[in-house]
Amino acid sequence: MLRDTITVAWREWREIRASLFSLRQGGLAALILALVLGVVAPLQLGAEWVTSPLMEAYWPFLAASLVSTLITDSIAGERERHTLETLLATRMSDASILLGKVAAVVLYGVAFAMLNLVLGMIAVNVAQAGDGQGLVLLDARHFLVTLVLVFLMCTFVSGVGVFISLRAASVRQAQQTFGIALVVCVMGPALAFQSLSPMGRFELVQRLAGLGRETLEQVAILVLVALSVTILSAALLRFRRGQLVLD
Amino acid sequence: MTAPALRCTDLVRDFGKVRALDGLSLEVPRGIVFGFLGPNGAGKTTAIRTFLGLLAPSSGRADVLGFDVTRDAESIRERCGALLEHPGLYERLSAEENLEFHGRAWRLDRPTRRARIRELLDRAGLWDRRHEPVGHWSRGMKQKLAVSRAILHDPELVFLDEPTSGLDPVSTAALRDDLAALATRDGVTVFLTTHNLAEAERLCAQVGVVRRGRLVAVGAPAELRANVDGARVTVSGHGMDEALVQELRDRRLVASAELGPTGMLRARLPDDASAAALVAFLVERGVAVEEVRRERATFEETFLELIHDRHEAGEAIGGQHGSARAAEQRAGNAT
Repeated sequence: MLRDTITVAWREWREIRASLFSLRQGGLAALILALVLGVVAPLQLGAEWVTSPLMEAYWPFLAASLVSTLITDSIAGERERHTLETLLATRMSDASILLGKVAAVVLYGVAFAMLNLVLGMIAVNVAQAGDGQGLVLLDARHFLVTLVLVFLMCTFVSGVGVFISLRAASVRQAQQTFGIALVVCVMGPALAFQSLSPMGRFELVQRLAGLGRETLEQVAILVLVALSVTILSAALLRFRRGQLVLD
Repeated sequence: MTAPALRCTDLVRDFGKVRALDGLSLEVPRGIVFGFLGPNGAGKTTAIRTFLGLLAPSSGRADVLGFDVTRDAESIRERCGALLEHPGLYERLSAEENLEFHGRAWRLDRPTRRARIRELLDRAGLWDRRHEPVGHWSRGMKQKLAVSRAILHDPELVFLDEPTSGLDPVSTAALRDDLAALATRDGVTVFLTTHNLAEAERLCAQVGVVRRGRLVAVGAPAELRANVDGARVTVSGHGMDEALVQELRDRRLVASAELGPTGMLRARLPDDASAAALVAFLVERGVAVEEVRRERATFEETFLELIHDRHEAGEAIGGQHGSARAAEQRAGNAT
């Protein structure tokens, strides 16, 4: 199964690469995004861009927004472009097809986030080269935590994307639904926080701060592992040829 | 004894209230080109999807290459190639990448993969354009590539749904030769659907005609034509009128008959009747019979004869209403 999964992921990467090398199909957008997130934003924020604890939440969300676009294109797009049935007529199993697709977009999301993180570090250090403050680097532990959080977030979001894509009639519809879901996920907690009394908000912040960065990281990782495993298991059960042909 | 390439018995597939396959029974021997013919919505695509294990039958049984479509679908797909309703090509990828992906999917080793890709693209006249994204190609070129993809891994059985759709006459003839060679030289069974009846007649060793999910005829094209030929008679002479034609119908000497403008009688005989009985009756009624001729039906006429239900004149051949395809779509939307 692993070999088939790699084969599917290979083909997905080829398609993503073909899009990136075509300015009209998304290469230009990716280039602008990389310039803004990897160079312009770090230059404006300085060392905070690298060292702030908030960045551990920023990178997973950045990668997740990219993954949401790719997974819908990979699944709803396959049906829209009439290639799904041919793919299902191959000897590869349902699971290897699904996991290959998920692996390709997750790896792409992780690579994109990490590339921008490294680009940002270079930009910040080049800008501060004459200040005599030494190199601004993310230590190995926090780099690893960021990497794990990005990976898990991408996996979870791609699992959600599978369900949305299977129900959507087109890529556009899937991406719109996903966009609404992401807004709800981000705005929901923010609105819930705003709905608390000033004292309630203060207490919540105090409690979270009291937990410490390491504990928060561990909780986030555990929650994301649980969510990712659950959603991927459910997606594997749903991604069945007999149903997909009729979708 | 080797099992047939494909055998199904009383195969039924329902989509809600619509029955797309209605007790289909069929046997396809190995190593031949088999044409599966029928009007749009007759259930051809549903049948292919079922044979490939992409759809489970509602009842009945089907074996492909000796494997049960319900229990051993993976073994079937391992040994089959398919060109389905659409070419199914990745348009952002090049021709070579498309074939490379399918070669990997079927686990061909690298040297075999490279050699087969070269051989097939050369044969299709596409080798020089192998690096181009196929999205920029014409429909005919895509179709040629899709056929190449279907046979890339040397399948034992290949399903081709309208393989010559979009091809020019030269490419159509070349593909026909290739498919014939696949069967005769390599022993591959080719199961194809087509609306090009001349192509089916020239290429297929056997054809099955399906209508409303049921097989209405099966055999060599020449056999099917002979059955219809034998039933069609033209009688020239004097003394025939509408009353006499009605009497022929009432006495069941003809299944159907009409008088032409020149007084010529065109009749279709019932299965168990002979032309001699008809002629004897006409002579007895005082008709001066000058010539009796059995008509040669074209394969198209044979096909139309087979699929046309004379008792349901309102049915449109090629109409989508109540078709298997529409039912599949409705079933998909309902889930």
